Amino acid sequence: MKWSAIRAALILVCQLSLVLLNQSCQTAPAPPEVARALEQEQDLWRAGASFYAPEEYEAYRQALVLARKFYEKEELKIGFFRDYDRVRQEFSRVLAEGERIGRIIEEKKASLTGEITTRKNDLVSRYEVLNNLSLELSQRTLSRQQLAQADVLLREVDRLLDQAKYQEARSRLDKVNSLLNQSENVLRRQLDRYMSPGEIARWRQLAERAMEKSRSGNQLVILVSKLERKLTVYKGGQPLKTYEVGLGFNGLSDKLHAGDNATPEGEYKVIKKVSPSRFGKALLINYPNEDDLKRFNEAKKKGYITAGSRIGGLIEIHGGGKDGLTQGCVALDDPEMEELFRMIPVGTPVTIVGTTDPNNKIIAILKREPGEKQ
Amino acid sequence: MKNLMKLSVLGLLVVFLFASCAKQPTQQMDEAKAAIDAVVKAGGNIYAKDELKKLNDDLQAAMDEINAQSKKLFKKYGPAKEMLIKVKTDAEAVQALIPARKEEAKNAAVNALNEAKAAFEEAKALLDKAPKGKGTKADIEAMKSDLAGLETMLTEVQTAIDSEDYFGAKDKALSIKEKAAAISEQINAAIAKVKK
Repeated sequence: MKWSAIRAALILVCQLSLVLLNQSCQTAPAPPEVARALEQEQDLWRAGASFYAPEEYEAYRQALVLARKFYEKEELKIGFFRDYDRVRQEFSRVLAEGERIGRIIEEKKASLTGEITTRKNDLVSRYEVLNNLSLELSQRTLSRQQLAQADVLLREVDRLLDQAKYQEARSRLDKVNSLLNQSENVLRRQLDRYMSPGEIARWRQLAERAMEKSRSGNQLVILVSKLERKLTVYKGGQPLKTYEVGLGFNGLSDKLHAGDNATPEGEYKVIKKVSPSRFGKALLINYPNEDDLKRFNEAKKKGYITAGSRIGGLIEIHGGGKDGLTQGCVALDDPEMEELFRMIPVGTPVTIVGTTDPNNKIIAILKREPGEKQ
Repeated sequence: MKNLMKLSVLGLLVVFLFASCAKQPTQQMDEAKAAIDAVVKAGGNIYAKDELKKLNDDLQAAMDEINAQSKKLFKKYGPAKEMLIKVKTDAEAVQALIPARKEEAKNAAVNALNEAKAAFEEAKALLDKAPKGKGTKADIEAMKSDLAGLETMLTEVQTAIDSEDYFGAKDKALSIKEKAAAISEQINAAIAKVKK
């Protein structure tokens, strides 16, 4: 009886020891904060913490290393003696700091996105203005190529912003700005005269002289305003009929020589009515006049044009369509040309000017200081 | 007593020898660093960013361990050595991943370029067959110039591919494709204007 009681007690002690041993050998689960912090560190790095919050991120990493050391120290202990409270505290602190850094990054990114988007929107507006101007004025020159390239780059900026590639997006915007400047310079070179008060005053004088001619003797006079793309027939100083017209490829420039595709400016007259012509009916004008010849010879003398250049001729007001591009002639839609052809006799004065509007659209668009935002 | 003194001196000598003779795993350090450098050289910064970051972190952890051990009397560099060997093995594995990823990026860029070229050619063909009469001539001339601008940019994409900037090349090519498609739409609108 005595022995059996001792044996039972021994078995109980052994079982208890086994239970205790098992308890002490069991690995207590690591606090979830440990894995979360490691994951968070990766996320912060991916989000560009070293770029957007370098000092905070470095301090965070050091705190993380320290927290890991606490964790590793606890891990070396037998399960029963492990105490993760300190580890949990350290990692919680790291996680809180990581969240703060995450917010800093988000704020900085949002600010960068905002800054880049604002700049992009400014450039888009400028692009649209120049693009419309270029299309409206039929300037088929290099500016269109530059505008097309600017458009592609603006599309690239959207892609780069989506990928948070801010530096690259900025560099594309710099290129867009440069292309728009080039485009604007091309347009400005061609359209500078339309912003010059002196030139506008000269055109207004020509137009006024045409009105005087119209008033005196109640005769018909044709006035073509290139910028507005209007041809108006006056009689007795009053507008009789206005037509929309098309010009040359380089129609807004003043014609200087053959092949420049520019539409001449000055005082002319109809010298022949041509029917049929290559473009329906046509009114041939006396280009080059004396002024044109003088300008041409001076330009040749000064070397502005080559010695072999010719002054050209055969400038007409003809049909074929106002949307077509000419080599310097003034084009109307055929039914309107028919009407004009019937109305206008040989000898009718024709005055062609750039514009008479001192507040024209080119001034509104291009007359601003370089670098000034639209 | 004399023997005890001798034993003590001998013991101290052994301890001193053990403590000072444990050498830092310099060979493993060099190999691990070289393996990471090879990953960077292979384009790891572009094609294996996350993996490269992990390699650098692991290397740093190994270096921290070495640093910690170097300050101890009884230095134990075994775990650090193992860490460094793992870094090297991992780096080699990452390096092996890069060619396929690079090839994938290259293919994506080349495909995007081909798509952009196709969209460009489509717009060009449309422009060639567009009726150049009343109502369209001015538009067509403008679009011709637009396409000339795109043609220049297509060569830039090829240059980017040649210089292995595959992601940049792809972004540019996709933007060109979009613009070419927009021009095609404009050409069709111009053609429709004539038909009306």
